[in-house]
Amino acid sequence: MEFGTLERRIHIDASPDVVFEVISRPEHIEEWWADEASLGEPAPGVVGELVWGDREHVATMTVVDADPPRRFSFRWVAPEGEPAAPGNSLLVTFELSPSRGGTLLLLTETGFREKGWEIAVLEEQYRDHENGWDAFLPRLASYAGGLVPR
Amino acid sequence: MSSAVDDDLWSAVGDPTRRRMLDLLLAEGSGTATSLSAQLPVTRQAVAKHLAVLDRVGLVHATPSGRERVYRVDDAQLARAVAQLSAVGATWDARLRRIKRIAEAIERSRTQ
Repeated sequence: MEFGTLERRIHIDASPDVVFEVISRPEHIEEWWADEASLGEPAPGVVGELVWGDREHVATMTVVDADPPRRFSFRWVAPEGEPAAPGNSLLVTFELSPSRGGTLLLLTETGFREKGWEIAVLEEQYRDHENGWDAFLPRLASYAGGLVPR
Repeated sequence: MSSAVDDDLWSAVGDPTRRRMLDLLLAEGSGTATSLSAQLPVTRQAVAKHLAVLDRVGLVHATPSGRERVYRVDDAQLARAVAQLSAVGATWDARLRRIKRIAEAIERSRTQ
């Protein structure tokens, strides 16, 4: 899949146990992602909810795999009222491995193409996330930096 | 996720050829369908269509010059597009930075 996967790696100076808690527990998800999060004990099939603002934006998250402290994966942005499945949602996977006294976190988000978004949006999501717009954005950024926002 | 992004503006810059055209217009200050097509692997007609899309969302403005129209990038609209795109593109990076900060703070509090 040409535009199938976004990948990120980050080293964290905390044990995989701690990192697993932060990525999977609703009280922490509220600190790094949604304004409000609800999610039961992470296990395959468990459905949680992410809420932004005064329920202006609500997304469900469906746990696909939970193997503490190694792996946590879930699907999100499925259409309202439909169970999340391959083809209608994005699959986010966190893989944790011990590294240099801390944790190496590997994030992947797949499913852009399956989701069948508008081609432009799809491409933009991917390119923008993955390549940082190579030649274009750096120039735009320096250009925009000299502009006064209205 | 992308609810704050203006869909038309988003689509307009979602095309690699149009981004390349904006890049050329920025580098050269202005351009015409003819001058741009000379530097791109697409026909003048295709460039003209892309310019019309960019014009519609206000990213470029045209002034007539003889038989051609001369296009320039609109500063304010471009700044707006950049702000929106940067915000969306940085989402996972920002989330991961927060995850790192939170986990490291917890780790420090537990080892003290």
